[in-house]
Amino acid sequence: MEKENIILSVKDLVIKFKLRGDILTAIREASLDLYEGESLAIVGESGSGKSVFTKSFMGLLDGNGWIDSGSIIFEGEEISKYKREEDWIKIRGKKIAMVFQDPMTSLNPLRSIGKQVQEAVELHQGLKRDEAKKKTIEILKDVGITEPERRYRQYPHEFSGGMRQRVVIAIAIACTPKVLICDEPTTALDVTIQAQILDLLKGLKEKYKLTTIYITHDLGVVANVADRIAVMYAGDIVEIGKCEEVFYNGQHPYTWALLSSLPQLGVKGEDLFTIKGTPPNLFYEIKGDAFAPRNPRALKVDFIHKPPYFDVSPTHKAKTWILDPRSPKVEPPESIKILRAQWEVVSHG
Amino acid sequence: MGKSIVNKLTDSINEDLFEFQEYDEEEAKRGGYSNYSYWYSTWKVFIQNKLAVFLLILMSLLLIFTLIQPYLPNQKSPTEIHINQETRLPLSNNPPDSEFLFGTNTIGQDLWSRIWSGSRTSLLIGLVVGAWEAVIGITIGAMWGYIPWLDRPITEIYNVINNIPKTIILVLMTYIMKPSLYTMIIAMGLTSWIDMARFVRNLTVIIRDREYNLASKCLGTPTRRIITKNLLPYLVSVIMLSIALSIPQTIGYEVFLTYIGLGLPVSIPSLGNLINEGRLLMMAPAQRYQLIFPSIIISIITISFYMMGNVFSDAADPKNHV
Amino acid sequence: MIKYSIKRLLQSLFTLFIIVTIVFLLMRLLPEEGYFGASYDKLDEQQKEAILTSMGLRDPIHKQLGSFYKKLLEGDLGQSITFRPKVPVAEIIKDKIPYSLYFGLAAIGISLVAGVSLGIAMAMGKGKMWDKLGTGYVVFIRAVPAAVYFLFLQLYLTSVFKLPILFDIDKPISWILPTISMSLGGIASYAMWIRRYMVDELNKDYVKLARAKGLKGRKIMIKHVFRNAFVPMAQYLPATILFTIAGSIYIESLYSIPGMGGLLVEVIKRQDNTLVQALVLIYSSIGIVGLFLGDILMAIFDPRINLEKKGGAR
Repeated sequence: MEKENIILSVKDLVIKFKLRGDILTAIREASLDLYEGESLAIVGESGSGKSVFTKSFMGLLDGNGWIDSGSIIFEGEEISKYKREEDWIKIRGKKIAMVFQDPMTSLNPLRSIGKQVQEAVELHQGLKRDEAKKKTIEILKDVGITEPERRYRQYPHEFSGGMRQRVVIAIAIACTPKVLICDEPTTALDVTIQAQILDLLKGLKEKYKLTTIYITHDLGVVANVADRIAVMYAGDIVEIGKCEEVFYNGQHPYTWALLSSLPQLGVKGEDLFTIKGTPPNLFYEIKGDAFAPRNPRALKVDFIHKPPYFDVSPTHKAKTWILDPRSPKVEPPESIKILRAQWEVVSHG
Repeated sequence: MGKSIVNKLTDSINEDLFEFQEYDEEEAKRGGYSNYSYWYSTWKVFIQNKLAVFLLILMSLLLIFTLIQPYLPNQKSPTEIHINQETRLPLSNNPPDSEFLFGTNTIGQDLWSRIWSGSRTSLLIGLVVGAWEAVIGITIGAMWGYIPWLDRPITEIYNVINNIPKTIILVLMTYIMKPSLYTMIIAMGLTSWIDMARFVRNLTVIIRDREYNLASKCLGTPTRRIITKNLLPYLVSVIMLSIALSIPQTIGYEVFLTYIGLGLPVSIPSLGNLINEGRLLMMAPAQRYQLIFPSIIISIITISFYMMGNVFSDAADPKNHV
Repeated sequence: MIKYSIKRLLQSLFTLFIIVTIVFLLMRLLPEEGYFGASYDKLDEQQKEAILTSMGLRDPIHKQLGSFYKKLLEGDLGQSITFRPKVPVAEIIKDKIPYSLYFGLAAIGISLVAGVSLGIAMAMGKGKMWDKLGTGYVVFIRAVPAAVYFLFLQLYLTSVFKLPILFDIDKPISWILPTISMSLGGIASYAMWIRRYMVDELNKDYVKLARAKGLKGRKIMIKHVFRNAFVPMAQYLPATILFTIAGSIYIESLYSIPGMGGLLVEVIKRQDNTLVQALVLIYSSIGIVGLFLGDILMAIFDPRINLEKKGGAR
């Protein structure tokens, strides 16, 4: 695993926003290494900072937000200090592209589909007019749009949600990026369409040799597409590891809670597991483990000190005091135990 | 199973801390959101705008002053013609002095009390028209949005009325009726409700179909509660806005109608009449104060209400609440 | 598109019909003295009755209305009563149109160019100097009655720049101030709308996507934001026409420009019912045409409008 090439490395990133005079800390010292060619999923509930975190890689934070400290190194270059638009232009699209959540609003309603894709082709592939148009039609075909020549001239309102998302993906592909960030790419779509879009993304990842980051709160999506999972809570990555490791052998109480709330993991006849309480208010300073107040098995230390990463395996680590040797043994919930039993089978044959 | 990275920081942590903390469900819930109150948040956003607060205080004082001014000591009647004791002639065009703060007009009336009397008239028109606009606009708008079979006919009526320039309707109505305070109020009230009705109609349609109201309906919330909790906050802010904005608007119309000769009778001091009287003298530098003083007062009143209305409508928008 | 235009046109014609009817009926409510002008006191009851009958005013109301429509279609707006007795209204107004047209169009042109530029500058530097100055200007113009600043502009600018106070057709320099004064309202409206719509558009997802695909800020502004903000604004074009109408009534009489606006003030003072009626109808028609054009413009720019009517594919 260490041999793999790190394409993006985030260290202790802190992102703050100013909202009506109050300062909100959206990302609290989050770190992440992204390997070339992998597919990483960032999961967490809404408001945990998933989108903000990835937007900072492209300098797309809203005007009232800024990187307070920490570093983002992309292909060996420190990009978190970029201030000018000219610097970011080198990254946006060209190196990192993004697919947004809601295809109904991510396209300009007043320009034809073709023009919007072609804009990216001309910008990043150095092609002009007819050549660019040919390339555009090729890409539209690539993302599964039938009759691309006719569709080229149509406007977004003539497309269904799934088709629009294909166009958004086409725009991202047209930029020929190295990293593709998919921000909840299927959340706004019908269940039947979701699988198609995920398959399409998987196929494109292979074809164009992309590194992909999925942002999602849907663990079903994760299982389908990701090599690794990063669990985000209140602006920090509390656990990260290979897909199976996090799924079957999760360590952080928040990961447990997240997994337990999956309906398919519920024990028949028992109430569905829900996470009690609400995520912390990011306007206040958070002390210790952010999840502690909602964790029924929290330790005293959780309320005072922020846990560091504890290695579970060379590829798996979690920020929780439970992993400290001094900690008393904490029993995971029933459903997690069942998963762990399966894990024994998966990992040891 | 886990191999920990133990560094100096973690070493120094007291062993005693590795004990279970008692779980408090209330504590878990408290972390999230503060008690949100619509009016409190609206107020909070409003007072963040220092200028708006200043204008609010200024306008409150001005409103009180215009109301009590006639009862203050040493105030003159706005219509009394003052006579020069020596010449027995009207004390016309007397420049501002300690006796007449803003001077007198061409026939010897006290400009100071005329301005306040005029402001009273104009504010009265504004408040009446604004309140009328709100009442009629909201009633028709709510019916328009809520009762499906009324949608078509009212939309057609709206299209017709909205197609006619408002100024022209005003001119026509005041031309046909006799000039008076009522004429003015009726003419302005005739058209003013239309935009409000449309706004409320759109709001009603949106709110009627919004998921959260559907959800509360499914949960068995009585309609009355939906209206008071979800609709009313919107409407109250809409009403306040319409009254605040109708003041500069009606003053503008009044000045306009007076200018083209369809205003209030000269016997009623109004801001429009004062401007018109001042205009006739504006080429004589010595008497220009008769235009300047009313203009300044009009500008202060209209700008203040206009800005307050806008700041308030921003503040009342939940999107701007933290 | 064509279907939509026809539908919209029919709607406008219907509105016009309603307005003509209402105006006609309302004018019948006016006291009858208005039809005699200065000769009223000299006539006895019988003569008055005879005159009213000859004018068709003793016919049943639906018959009067019918002949009114018929005359309107022939371009006959009746005769002036007090302003220039017995002269056909159409003839009086015909001479006035060129002046109103020139000042109206010039004012709209200036407001469009200046207002849109100001609005763009404000939206691009949101919260900065231009935005603050522009907002101050917009608030002032929209809040303060036009008569107030029109008067002060006439009073002080004419003396500062040594401009003539009144309009003189032979001195183009005397045209400047009225034209600029008339544009002020339009500039404020355009600046306000363009700014508002651009700021709205800037917060939309597609702008974020355009940024994410690496488009430069200025290009996004021109290719996406401005274009999209201009579409909803197109329907406000007629609103400036209305603004200009109100402005022209003031300005033409303040500067003694022999146009329709000045005429309206004049004939209202002289209680010339037929002329008031004719001018009210003309102004209403201008308003209707403006709104019609605004909607058509909007349909041309926005591909969604005509297709949504057909229920286009989703």
